[in-house]
Amino acid sequence: MQPTADPIIEMRHVSFSYGHEDARALDDITLAIEPGAFVGVIGPSGAGKSTLASVLSGAIPHHFTGQLFGETIVDGSDTCEVTLTDISRVVGSVNQDIDAQMVASVVEDELIFGLENFGVDHRHIEKFIEAALDAVGIADLRDREIATLSGGQKQKVAIAAILALAPRVLVLDEPTAALDPVSSRMVFDVLRDLNRDEGITVIVIEQKVALLSEYCDRLVVMNEGRVALDGTPHEVFAHSSELRAIGVDSPRTARISNSLAHRGLCPAGDPCLNVDEAAALIADIVKARAGAPAPVEARALGRATASPHAPAPRPHAKGAEPIVRFSGVTFAYPGGGASVNNLDLTVYPGELVGIVGQNGAGKTTATKLLNGLLKPSSGSVVIAGLDTREVPVSRIARHVATLFQNPDHQLCKNTVLEEVAFGLELAGVSQTDAEARARRVIERFGLPADEAPFSLSRGQRQMVALASVVVCEPAVVVLDEPTSGLDYRECMTVMETVREMAEHGSAVVMVCHDMEVVSDFAERLVVMADGCILARGATAEVFADAALMARARVKPPQVVELSQRLAREVSPAFARISEVAGIVDTTEALAGGGANAAEAPLPSATKADAATDAREA
Amino acid sequence: MLNVIDYVPGNTVLHRLNPVTKLALAAAIIIATVLADGYAALIGLLLLTLVLGIYAGSGSRLLSLLKVLVPVAVLMLVLQLAFVRRGEVIALFITTDGLVSGTKACLRLLGVALPLVLVLTVTKTTDLANACVEKLHIPYKYAFTFTTALRFVPVFTQEMNAIMEAQTARGVEFDTKNPVKKLLLMLPVCVPLLVTSVGKTDATALAAEQRGFYLRTRESSYRRYPFRARDVVVGVLCILLIAAGAAL
Repeated sequence: MQPTADPIIEMRHVSFSYGHEDARALDDITLAIEPGAFVGVIGPSGAGKSTLASVLSGAIPHHFTGQLFGETIVDGSDTCEVTLTDISRVVGSVNQDIDAQMVASVVEDELIFGLENFGVDHRHIEKFIEAALDAVGIADLRDREIATLSGGQKQKVAIAAILALAPRVLVLDEPTAALDPVSSRMVFDVLRDLNRDEGITVIVIEQKVALLSEYCDRLVVMNEGRVALDGTPHEVFAHSSELRAIGVDSPRTARISNSLAHRGLCPAGDPCLNVDEAAALIADIVKARAGAPAPVEARALGRATASPHAPAPRPHAKGAEPIVRFSGVTFAYPGGGASVNNLDLTVYPGELVGIVGQNGAGKTTATKLLNGLLKPSSGSVVIAGLDTREVPVSRIARHVATLFQNPDHQLCKNTVLEEVAFGLELAGVSQTDAEARARRVIERFGLPADEAPFSLSRGQRQMVALASVVVCEPAVVVLDEPTSGLDYRECMTVMETVREMAEHGSAVVMVCHDMEVVSDFAERLVVMADGCILARGATAEVFADAALMARARVKPPQVVELSQRLAREVSPAFARISEVAGIVDTTEALAGGGANAAEAPLPSATKADAATDAREA
Repeated sequence: MLNVIDYVPGNTVLHRLNPVTKLALAAAIIIATVLADGYAALIGLLLLTLVLGIYAGSGSRLLSLLKVLVPVAVLMLVLQLAFVRRGEVIALFITTDGLVSGTKACLRLLGVALPLVLVLTVTKTTDLANACVEKLHIPYKYAFTFTTALRFVPVFTQEMNAIMEAQTARGVEFDTKNPVKKLLLMLPVCVPLLVTSVGKTDATALAAEQRGFYLRTRESSYRRYPFRARDVVVGVLCILLIAAGAAL
């Protein structure tokens, strides 16, 4: 890993536009990748990340057609002058769609395929297979049918199949987009081991900033086909206001340290990338400014102003009739799989409830019981007074709207307008009325009304799906992973819209892997594990229960982890804070002097503020 | 999710046969079924397939396939009864000739459909493709196309289910009892399925090329598929089976 070595991939003034379009997906990119680097590429949707990956892996110019300018040198040869097969000997690539890149039905055969093709001596094949399986840590899956594996396991098989070919560079396009946090972390652990132990250069396109900042040694931020920022994670996340303008999230700890720097409490330019760094920084600030805080006094204070940051329950959630009622709901799939047991759940109009838990905990099953796609085998589900076992799903749909993880399953019409109006028409609204209402929503979302939904980008397709949910003004909204595959800005637009719907009286039930999103938007949480509800309660309280989080195998959001650590090690005033602004305010108050601390931590930030966190910029 | 054509792991003689021999066996049963004209032979061949299936542990698969096929066979019987008008009238529009040719057509339909599925349940698709390339000298390109198509069946089934669920949740009446109405509702939904499938096929082509697909020759396969004594025995049985089918 010599940083001075010749770059293994070098792009010189590369521009590319697809087909005959004038718009450039890549615009004059010059980039050198050093051997042994672990590079993360991030950027909003449409920034050209996937196109960049295609250029690096040789799929451009060999597979996708368009106009290419400039040159890309992979291991000394211009990618235009050698075949894709030759490039593949150096650069192994793992694409977004895992299912599509499998060629065999059994794990072992999947690995053999590439080895056979590249003419590896048959006497050595066994050795290569074993090495690749071991490197990824899936030796036990060797004889398994690929169809029976989980998403995370499949992703590892895809990596192992490429790894068996001994590439010197791995290019991965959003390898964790479809995975839960635990599996995502496992995939990145594998990548880190390969990078460190085998010296393989890793280039990974990813939306999850916390993962990137933790694993990568270099980050490339793309925007509108250009490289906007390029440097170590520390360097890049010091520009958090620029990142926000582009539409890229920063780790919450980086936001905290940047805000502290902005208020002059610590030097600027060195953001904290994880909880350890942030805890150390804040402890230093508090100790240096205020001297040692008086522990006894502070503890008394902590008790007196118990949880100043606990969010106030929504006033309109009180005194209303519940709109969703699960009583003793049990369901098991005939072929096995995520079953649920004895679920009790009540949701009131205007509530935003998050369901969290590991993959296979039964979260999606619970949402399908809610919208009537599944009927309970015992117990009952009553939505707006309708028992789901007695009423067909198509009638329940007039009260419950679902936003699925993959918008493409929802879209079926020729124009955005027809698509958005479709749900209303199904509910019996006349066509002219439906189109008028659809137009209003489309305008609000800024979508092109006359275009075909499938010609839009992934994020826009999700917005079309969301618009067709919003237009129905449903009593209950069900969200199944509403933010996966979206960039930060799209994610915030979706979630702000959902919050507005809750404020207008819709009950929202959301399944989401992104704990930051859950903590920002959900006011109440239901924790599931192994098909049962482990616990329920106010979001901050649930996240603060470390034992419960461990039992459900859920990693609480960074801010919660940080506030718990600070409450233990620095001052109890930090207890139960779940927002960036809360930590910053409390730190400032504590640093301002021991005496002020008593009245300091104002619960000033609402949840919306925490999400946009304007203060920082 | 299990599919009818998924591989059922096992170690029976049927599993251990050369994939090409298995294909020959299926072909022999099918040819015999087409040639045979007596009820005894037709039913016998059908039973042979079922017994082999039960022996190989895929009996339940064949039965679940039968559940789908029997209604189709009954429909065929009704059509035959309606169109074959020779012979004596038994009742209504049913004639003796119609009944005979109808029931035989039903048995043939079942007898032709089951053996191929049986072979697929006892053979990994990669083995089937590689053995066909090695023994039958089929170009790998075609073998790969065939196995990919088979592999996509469950993927697209899942995709279709997800689409129908999403549409049902929107209020499209897929839960209607009327099969004609359901079919009409399904047509527009095929558009998103087509869009995804084109995308997936393209991604597969790219992924295969990036793993050296174009370098592959007949000698590339790591596994070899030699014919053994049991393959020869089954081969002889196949010829006898066809001869018996033609005679009966």
